[in-house]
Amino acid sequence: MSLIDRYIAEVGRHLPEKNREDIEAEIRSMLEDMIDENSHQTGKPVNDELIAAALEQLGDPKLLAHKYAPARRYLIGPDWYEAYIETLKRVLATALPVVAILTIFIALAQDPIDFVDALGQAFGRVVDVAIGILFWVTAGFVIVEHSDAKPNELERAKTGAWTVAQLPEMPKKRQISVAEALTNIVFITGFTVWVVLPFVQSQGNESVPFLNPDLWQIWLPVFFVLVVLTLIHEVFKLIVGNWTQALMITNVILCLISITYIVALVTTQEIINPAFLATLSDDVVAELRDSARWARWTVNISAVITIGIYVWDMVNSMIMAKRLNRQEPKNAITAEKML
Amino acid sequence: MENDELVQNMLLELRRGTLSIAVLSQLTKEQYGYSLLKALSDKGLEVEQSTLYPLLRRLESQGLLQSDWRIVDEARPRRYYVISAQGKAVLTKLKREWSLMAETMKQMLT
Repeated sequence: MSLIDRYIAEVGRHLPEKNREDIEAEIRSMLEDMIDENSHQTGKPVNDELIAAALEQLGDPKLLAHKYAPARRYLIGPDWYEAYIETLKRVLATALPVVAILTIFIALAQDPIDFVDALGQAFGRVVDVAIGILFWVTAGFVIVEHSDAKPNELERAKTGAWTVAQLPEMPKKRQISVAEALTNIVFITGFTVWVVLPFVQSQGNESVPFLNPDLWQIWLPVFFVLVVLTLIHEVFKLIVGNWTQALMITNVILCLISITYIVALVTTQEIINPAFLATLSDDVVAELRDSARWARWTVNISAVITIGIYVWDMVNSMIMAKRLNRQEPKNAITAEKML
Repeated sequence: MENDELVQNMLLELRRGTLSIAVLSQLTKEQYGYSLLKALSDKGLEVEQSTLYPLLRRLESQGLLQSDWRIVDEARPRRYYVISAQGKAVLTKLKREWSLMAETMKQMLT
């Protein structure tokens, strides 16, 4: 029955979620009626050939789905809507708190007393970033949606235009959802472009760079290389969708390198520009020492949190890879049983 | 050759308009999708399944049909459709319109 499953999955993929299950069940019951009837009439047992004939009579699954839910002029239609909303939710939920906390931190570093101003700045940044995310994620999905050809109902006049050979494989259950991988990609890119880069550039003539300029020699280039490698890895996660051995091993290696990098950076380097710290307070020595200590703690805590996230990611990928390994043979057995 | 395609398209449009009336008229007794298809074809109306099934849904969402999943005679569960009160009222009107139209067309074409 796997042909029927694949057909119905393909129809469902193009249906709005609201009554997808019901329509799927109905198509399945109608298909089975038709196949039974054909088998009865021809005296042949139910086999793939008979099933294929029934499916071809019903025609292109995408077209059938669009007859159930006529293609309106969507900005983002049912094919992509769920992935879109999920991605948007995830990106906003991860990016906005980080932006808020970072903005408050930086504002307080420059002026430790004015908490209200820091909150105000954070609010402004959050609104800015939210609008940016909304725009770019939407734009991305609109492009994907509209690069996909929509079937036209009159095409149906050409019978036999669709054959079961065109039926895609059963969509695999993904361990890594499209939204999850996309969120990581958007987040890493956004974080690097909007948060790290402004720090790295010296901010005009009058202000002193926040990061130690010495880092430019090795540490920052290495950081950008790591970002690019991580992004490439995320793209592969998006395409593959499961924690295969290869993906898991590369993930563990990437995480270990990143952890090593962070530990080495924090323990051996002065990350925050001493000249920047010096601008924070007036000439009072005690206060300078205070802000230096404060800055070091901030760096250390961020490092510990980041390392924690890496460790979690590493362990998670190993568990998922193991689970995938165990799952695959089992799937094969059930598929055989169904045939 | 080109005319064939034109004729096909016009027939498609012509059928689409009449199909709703045909379906409503056959559902005074409840039917499931495949049995309705048979009933229509027995009376000489060949309908494509990919047209009929979505149409049933649409008529139901317009309130002209009612449906529910049921198991009859230990067969597999099927969705049974039957005309609703509103559907009956609409069908009566459509029937009258159809007779008038058929009459007009007959006079026009002979």
